[in-house]
Amino acid sequence: MKVVNLLAVVDGEKCRGCKTCERICPVLAIKVESRVAVVDAERCRGCANCEQRCPDLAITMVEREKPLLVKVDVEAVDYDRIVDICRRAKLNPEQLICYCTATRAEEAAAAILQGARTPEEVSYLTGARTGCKVECIQPILRLLEAAGIKPEPPGGGWQWYGRTVTVWEIPEEVKRKYASRGFYFDEDIKILDRVAAAPLQGRSDS
Amino acid sequence: MRPPITPLAPRKSQYGIDPALVKTRVCELPGMTSVMLKELFPDLPEVIYPGAEGVAAVRRATEKALEKIDMSRIKPEHSVNILASHHGFTLLGGEPYAEMLKTIKDVLEARTGCKNIRLRAGVGLRFRETEEYIKRYGLDEYFQGKAIGVAPVDQGIPIETEIGVLYGIKKIYDADWIVHAHNSDVREVHFHRQVDRAVKPFGMSYARIETRSTYHQNLGPRAANFTARAIFDSPFVQSKFAFASFLTVAPNGIIGVDADDDLYALNDRVTQIGCRYYGKMMTLFGEIDECIAALDFPCPVVYVFSAGVIYANFAGANTDLYDLETPLPAYTWYTEAFYGKAGRPLLEEIPPVNPAIKMCVHNYAWTGYPSAFFSEHIPTVVVGREQAELFNRDPQNLTYMKHAVVAEDTRSAMEFAYKVTGTRKVVIFDGAMGGINVSEPLAELLLRKAPAVSRRVDEELLPKWLRQRGVTPR
Repeated sequence: MKVVNLLAVVDGEKCRGCKTCERICPVLAIKVESRVAVVDAERCRGCANCEQRCPDLAITMVEREKPLLVKVDVEAVDYDRIVDICRRAKLNPEQLICYCTATRAEEAAAAILQGARTPEEVSYLTGARTGCKVECIQPILRLLEAAGIKPEPPGGGWQWYGRTVTVWEIPEEVKRKYASRGFYFDEDIKILDRVAAAPLQGRSDS
Repeated sequence: MRPPITPLAPRKSQYGIDPALVKTRVCELPGMTSVMLKELFPDLPEVIYPGAEGVAAVRRATEKALEKIDMSRIKPEHSVNILASHHGFTLLGGEPYAEMLKTIKDVLEARTGCKNIRLRAGVGLRFRETEEYIKRYGLDEYFQGKAIGVAPVDQGIPIETEIGVLYGIKKIYDADWIVHAHNSDVREVHFHRQVDRAVKPFGMSYARIETRSTYHQNLGPRAANFTARAIFDSPFVQSKFAFASFLTVAPNGIIGVDADDDLYALNDRVTQIGCRYYGKMMTLFGEIDECIAALDFPCPVVYVFSAGVIYANFAGANTDLYDLETPLPAYTWYTEAFYGKAGRPLLEEIPPVNPAIKMCVHNYAWTGYPSAFFSEHIPTVVVGREQAELFNRDPQNLTYMKHAVVAEDTRSAMEFAYKVTGTRKVVIFDGAMGGINVSEPLAELLLRKAPAVSRRVDEELLPKWLRQRGVTPR
């Protein structure tokens, strides 16, 4: 869930149409048309990625007159199916996958069950990955994969390139090679497995 | 009791409030004092900065450290990227790190004849932070316009590693050679646990979002930093790596410059410094029974620091952050993720946030890092409506103020904290150089506890910490 209180606004005089913003927007809300970036205000999730990377300082974040509440209704989906996707992704449905928006795995799974097929759609529906824009791409990709979906990165974009290794997939020879250097792979697997299987607390978020 | 040490002045930045709005520093209030870190731990090393020579001492130490580096592979027609990270610019005012970067460039030019030397400065979660530092320290001019900030959302490149493909930032690697210019300050012990600290930027400030998310979401709290080792050990990175140059830092200041073309040898030396000196400060902080934590430094909430210990680590000082047998400190992103919908940890053994912190007075700290966990778990008073509004506009902190209250000024915030908590012990996270600004009752406690802490670390904890990391004690 996210309350979107900001909106990206482009200064057409400064914009040179370089497409950096288009390549990094996590919800595909900005596009260069006729050599000027154009923001889809309804789609923008106020993450400021474009504002932070525009080489021409052509974008500012302004306060929305009416903030948008972005949220997927977890109750509208069969919770057993949510649990199934989360467990396959080795996540507890209640664990946070986005620290900035406090999005839990269950909400991203619900978004997928309601039709999201890409990280961009999950972000658009839940707000996840529209805070720091950095840390939560992998659990989103894991959840999509657990639902049997193999998304392709946006063509020409830099939004994301691919799912990477998880601790369960570290080769045994790598674990052995570095066992004396402070990497506790197997011990961390035990902790993560226990978290994934931990009982749900079940109270709604405020 | 000594007078407080004057802290670093507030900085103009898009991530913080206008410095003019910071009317009072917490250390200026009645009852505050300072303790020099050498008084607490006389075995702390001598520092070269701060000192009478200023940054000239850093230049000289860098030149000396680089004398042993073989630069013969770098040819005049080659290109070199000196890789920097934001955190170096927050250490002791930032000038020492900037001076080391400038000196590396000068030495490289003089010894190799190479002119195409660029500065690539990576960031944490504030994508323009190093752009601000490049201007502040004149690095754009010094590098003849070849100094840029890079961010984890910039164009990436795949890097084949022994654990599969990970991703780096393309502009980090777009030269024939790379020089890893970093520092040994421990900073995020809760994340890296002093395992491969010297290697970490390869999985973090030089890395793309996929890699950073691997670190924080895919590998677990004690395996996380393997992403950095995997990338650094890759044939691609090894083909470009020239050498590393580190500001070596102890809680009391810059103790030297260390350079090596064997990053793991340098890493072992960094591990010794981190465990020995910072380990003592962290263990001492864990002895604080009750206090008010005052944040008063130009960087995000978690990173404000006192005696080399960041606020995020103080929030976990009720556990031994260096003990790798402890899987989850009271604060890491893994820990934060593992709180369920009722607000309780999903596993019983997850420790609570340091119960000694009775209240946090947020006098001055920046946005740009998700910090709501702290205001949610520690009663927090933010000074000034402007600062509260800045946090409300930060996409990473939209709920920080849902859990905090606002005070009009520093004095009223502290009075409120004294009344509500009943303690007069105050630790100020204002980055005071060489010492620590605290209230008098806390100074007394620290001075009383330090000798036993020092003995315990030397005799019991340090040998264990080094053994866990495969490092032979010196």
